[in-house]
Amino acid sequence: MPTLTINGRSMSVDAANDTPLLWAIREQLQMTGTKFGCGAGLCGACTVHVNGEAVRSCQTMVGDVAGKKITTIEGLSAKGDHPLQKAWIAEQVPQCGYCQSGQIMQAASLLAKNSNPTKEEVVAHMDGNLCRCMTYSRIQKAIMRAATEMRTASAAGNDRRPT
Amino acid sequence: MNKHVKTIAPETTDLSRRSFLVGTAATGLVLGYAGVPGIGDALAAAPANFEPSVWYAISPDGLVTVTCGKADMGQHIASTMAQIVCEELGAKWSDMRVNLASNDPKFNDPVLGAQITGGSWSTMMNFEAMSRAGAAGRIALTEAAAAAMGLPPYFKDELVVRDSMVLHPKSKKQMSFADIVKSGKATKTFTPDELKAIKLKSPDQYTMIGVSVPQIDIPSKTNGTAKYGIDVMLPGMVYGAIVTPPVRYGATVKSVDDSAAKSVPGFIKAVILDDKTQTTTGWVVAVASTYANAKKAAAALKVSYDGGPNAKLSSQSLLDEAKRLQKLDDSGQFFVKDGDVGAALGSAAKVLEAEYTTSINIHAPMEPMNATAEFKGDILHIYSGNQFATRSGAIAAGAAGIDPKFVVMHQMWLGGGFGRRLDADMMVPAVQAAKAVGKPVKVIYTRENDMTMDFSRPLTYQKVKAGVDGDGKLVALSHDVVSAWPTQRWGIPDFLSPSVDKKGPLDAFTVNGSDFFYTVPNHNVRAIKNEMAHNATPSGQLRSVAPGWTFWAVESMIDEIAAATGKDPAQFRISLLDGAGKNDGGAQRLRNTLLAAMGLAGYGTKKLPKGEGMGVACVSSQERATASWTACVAHVAVAPSGEVTVKKLTVATDVGTQVHPDNIRAQVEGAALWGLSLAMYEKATLKDGGIEQTNFDGYTPLRMSQMPEVAVAVIANGEKATGVGEPAVTVVAPAIGNAIFNASGARVRALPITAEAVKGAMKA
Repeated sequence: MPTLTINGRSMSVDAANDTPLLWAIREQLQMTGTKFGCGAGLCGACTVHVNGEAVRSCQTMVGDVAGKKITTIEGLSAKGDHPLQKAWIAEQVPQCGYCQSGQIMQAASLLAKNSNPTKEEVVAHMDGNLCRCMTYSRIQKAIMRAATEMRTASAAGNDRRPT
Repeated sequence: MNKHVKTIAPETTDLSRRSFLVGTAATGLVLGYAGVPGIGDALAAAPANFEPSVWYAISPDGLVTVTCGKADMGQHIASTMAQIVCEELGAKWSDMRVNLASNDPKFNDPVLGAQITGGSWSTMMNFEAMSRAGAAGRIALTEAAAAAMGLPPYFKDELVVRDSMVLHPKSKKQMSFADIVKSGKATKTFTPDELKAIKLKSPDQYTMIGVSVPQIDIPSKTNGTAKYGIDVMLPGMVYGAIVTPPVRYGATVKSVDDSAAKSVPGFIKAVILDDKTQTTTGWVVAVASTYANAKKAAAALKVSYDGGPNAKLSSQSLLDEAKRLQKLDDSGQFFVKDGDVGAALGSAAKVLEAEYTTSINIHAPMEPMNATAEFKGDILHIYSGNQFATRSGAIAAGAAGIDPKFVVMHQMWLGGGFGRRLDADMMVPAVQAAKAVGKPVKVIYTRENDMTMDFSRPLTYQKVKAGVDGDGKLVALSHDVVSAWPTQRWGIPDFLSPSVDKKGPLDAFTVNGSDFFYTVPNHNVRAIKNEMAHNATPSGQLRSVAPGWTFWAVESMIDEIAAATGKDPAQFRISLLDGAGKNDGGAQRLRNTLLAAMGLAGYGTKKLPKGEGMGVACVSSQERATASWTACVAHVAVAPSGEVTVKKLTVATDVGTQVHPDNIRAQVEGAALWGLSLAMYEKATLKDGGIEQTNFDGYTPLRMSQMPEVAVAVIANGEKATGVGEPAVTVVAPAIGNAIFNASGARVRALPITAEAVKGAMKA
C-alpha cells in the first residue's frame, strides 16, 4: 500500500501504483478540494504541488510520488489565509468556483518563485488552467494583489530582522 | 407512509411557538417539512427556530439561513436571494447564511411553479417574493420585540430595525433577533393576502440592494470546502464509469463482453441501461470499488452496437437538411407575422438575402456531469448539482420505475451549469447502477463522455431576406430559423408557445430574439424544426439559447442593410428603435444602451489605423417578455491573412435595478467572454453520427491569453431588475462580425469565425 506525504502528513492509500494521484486524493483520502476536469492534463482543475512544483494530479501516478512532498488546496495554508486565498476573496474571483483550487495552486507555484511577476508572466504561467466562467481578469488581479501583499510582508519581515 | 410524501403538520403547540409559513403567491399557505425525510424530526427536536417563511429560518443564535430554490452555478444566486431577504428583514449581512433547497415543491419558483434555473429569470422572478418574505419576518420580529419590551402595540411604529436588532430609540431599549427568537414570542402569521398587502421599501430606503456585499459562497470556493455533486461521499458507495457509443443518439447495445473487465480489481458489474425515459441510448455503466477501477473496467468492456438510424449523419447532412426544409413553403410555423412581407418584398426597391449559420457547441462546464444515487427504504436519494430538479427528479424516478414523489433531490453547488444541468441524463446511469448493485453509486462522466454526449447548442441555419424602399427605409424582413428544438425535447407543453399561424405549438427557445424591438412594418419569423438534427444531436439550452443565434443573423443583417444603403450602422439602428407601437419602452432603452456603449468605446470619434474597425450590435435577450437591454462595440484588427484579433469589447447593459453591482459586472464580463469564445474559438462537428471533439484539445474554449480588454457599463435606472447572466453572450458575435466588415470589408456569416472565412470574404 503506497504511502503519500500530503499536506505534511504521512498517509497510506489503498490504490495501485498506476492510480492517478487525483483519485487517490479524492477518494482514498476524501480531500475533495482537488477537482477532476479533463483527465488529460488539458484544464488544470486537478493541480497540486509535488515538491513545490505545480503538477496535474490526473497525469501523476501514485507510484511516482512516493516519498515526495504533496500539497493540495487543503494544505496550502493552515486557515485558508494564503495571500492568494485572501486575494481571491478580496477580488471576489470565483463564480462556480470549480476550477479555482487548481487556479490557486497553479498561481501559488508562480509566486513561490517570483513574487513580482509581470502580466505576461502571469498569463504564460496560468494559460493551461481553463475557467469556463471566464473569471480570467479577476484571477490576474488577485495574483497581482497577492504578489504585492507577499512583497510587502517580506519587506516588513526584513525590516524586523535583527542586523 | 414515508416522511417524504407525507406533509407533516407541526403540532399545534409548536405551531404557536415557532413555525409558520407565509406561503408564496403560487403555492399558498404551506406547512410542514416534507422535503427531506428526517428533517421534520430534526427540526422538531431543535426548539425555537423562527421560520417566518419557507425561504428562511432564524435560529436562536440569530443566524438567518435562506434556502435558495435556484441552482447556484456561479451566478451567486443563493447569495443574491439572501441579500434581497436581508434588505427587508433588517438583518446584518454577516448573520446571513445560505442553504440549497431540496426538490420539495414548497421551494418551487413563485412565478414558474417549478424548480428550474435558467433564462436569466431568477432575480427578476424572485425579487418580490424574497422581499415580502423578508418584510414579513421583520414585522413579526418587531411586534414580538414590542411585546417583550413591554411597549403597547401602537408603539411599534417607533421601533427601528437594523443590523439584526430591534431598537426603540425613545426608551433606549433594544433586542437582538437572537433574543426575540429565543423568547418564542414571534408568532405572527400572514395570509397570502396580508403578505401581498405589505408595503415594501422604496429604492431610496435601500441599504442592502445595490451594495456589493461579499458573496456568501466565495470563501468556500477558495479553500476546497465547497461541495459539488462530484464531491458527495456516502457510506458503502461504489463508482460507475460509463461506456458511451460512438453515435450520439440512437445506438443500441447488441452485446457486452465483460470477461476482461472481470480481472480488474474491484470490478462489480456491467449494467446495460434500460432507459425508458429515452434520455440516453446504448449506454453501459461499469461499476467498481473506486472510480479509477471503474474506468479501467469500462475500458476493458467489449461492447458491440447497432449504430441506429443516425450513424451515417454528419454536420453537413444536418445543414443540407436545414437548407432543404427552409426552401419548402409549408415548413415550420410562424413565430412573428406582421404586415404582408411577400407584398412588401415584391415592391421593395432593393432586396438583400443572406444565410447565417452557427455550429454545434458544447457546454463543457468544468465539473463533468455526475450523479450519486442511493435507495434508502422507499426513497431514492439523488445527489447532483442540477438546474431543473422538478424534471430531473421525474427522470430519476422514470429510470428507477418509481413514482417521482419518492425521489429526493439533494442540491449541490454546480461546477458550472450554462444550461447543461437542465438535463437529467446523468440520473439514469446512477439510478440504474445503484439499483443493479444494491449500493449507493456515484457515476462520473469522463470529459470524453461529457463532450460527446452533450445536449449541445444545435447547429442552426437562418435565411434572412430584407426589403428596403427607395429612401433606404427597411420595410420588410423575412427570417427563417431552422434548428433542432431543444425545449420541445423536454416534453413539457407549458414550455412551448402557440404559433401565429395556428399550426400547433412551436419551440420559442429556437426563435426568441427574432421578435426584436426594431420597427419593421412587414416582418415574418418562421420556426422550422430540423427533425434530422433533433434526432441525431439532441440539443439543449446553452447559455442564452436562441438569442445566441437569432441575433447573430438579425444584427449582422441590419449592418448589411446599412452598408447597402450607405448608412452608419449605429445610426441606422437608432432610426429603427423609434419606440412605435409594441416597441414602446423597450426600443428606447435599447437605444440608450447602444449610445452608452458607443460613447464608452469612442465609436465614431476614435481614429483607427488601417486594418482595424469597430462594429456595433444591440440585443433584447432573452425572451421578449423577459427582455433586457444590452449593446456592444467590438474593436478588432484584421490581418491580410484574415487573422482577427479582438482588441476590446465594450458592453453596456440596462439592468433596471442592480442588487449587487460587482456581481453584475462579473456576470456581464463572463457572458461577453462566452460570446467571444463562441464567436471565435468553439466548434463541434458531427461525423458518422458522433461528436468528433472529445476533450479540451479539440474543443477549445477561450483561455486567459486570448482575453481582450473588456469594458462594462451598467445602467441602473430604477426599472425592475432584469437578468444579467446571458444577454451579453448574444451581443458579441454580431458586434465582432460587423467590426470585421468595417475593418476589412469581409462579411462573415458563419460561426465560429475563421481566418479562412475572413480572407475568403475579402474583396481582392
